[in-house]
Amino acid sequence: MTKIQKVTVPIVARPKPINLTDTQVYVVNKGNLEAFIAEFTEQNGELAFVALSIDTYENLALNVSELRRFINQQNEIIVYYEKAMTKELDKSKEK
Amino acid sequence: MIKVYALVVVVALLGGVGYAAKSYYTSTQQKIQTLSENNAKLEVAIEQSEKSVNLLKDEAAKNAELSKNLQEKLQKAEAYGDNLRNRLRKLDLLADAISNAKNLEGRMNGATAKLWRELMAETGNNTGGTSDLPFWLQQNNAGTGSEGSDKNTKSDSTDSSKTKAD
Repeated sequence: MTKIQKVTVPIVARPKPINLTDTQVYVVNKGNLEAFIAEFTEQNGELAFVALSIDTYENLALNVSELRRFINQQNEIIVYYEKAMTKELDKSKEK
Repeated sequence: MIKVYALVVVVALLGGVGYAAKSYYTSTQQKIQTLSENNAKLEVAIEQSEKSVNLLKDEAAKNAELSKNLQEKLQKAEAYGDNLRNRLRKLDLLADAISNAKNLEGRMNGATAKLWRELMAETGNNTGGTSDLPFWLQQNNAGTGSEGSDKNTKSDSTDSSKTKAD
């Protein structure tokens, strides 16, 4: 006689949500370079910055979008497994 | 004397028949009891099998529904990247940077701030969407980059789901 035994695994807590800090981007060209240097030095004290080309900025944006996609898809897969391990759907059918 | 022998034979025969009948009755009763027990076991087994089949059917239906939902949501998660790629293909950020740097800067900062808040919200940080905008966005009218706008430059919204990098 074969009896189906459903495996139950306890659902664990999700990781702590992310906490992001705002970042400021400057767009600089030949025309506003001097104004940028003056404003930047006034804001930050020193004239030292990291520069990205437009192409690299686009790549950075696309990389972030890929990370976002992965996080969201991973999250949906976790939700899928959580639902598969619980009897939530079975109960809703019985109603 | 012959009658006595005949009587003995008849009695013996009757005794034999009686014993055989009793033995038959006893064995038949035992068989009936065994068959009844087997029948009860089979009924339980059938009931268990039916329950198992129903459980498997329910599980299969539930899993099919969950898989369908998952596929839809996985597809939906691709939308942001797809939109961004399409936007970047259509826009010429280099031209925008040269023609109106402040406008592009405002749009970039607005979209970035919105992206960070959306990401925080997606991971369960509900304070992300309500936190104050950074000062550089407040100065620039929430990232619209209105300062020195060029009429030829598109003044796109800062909705990061559409224009994250513009």
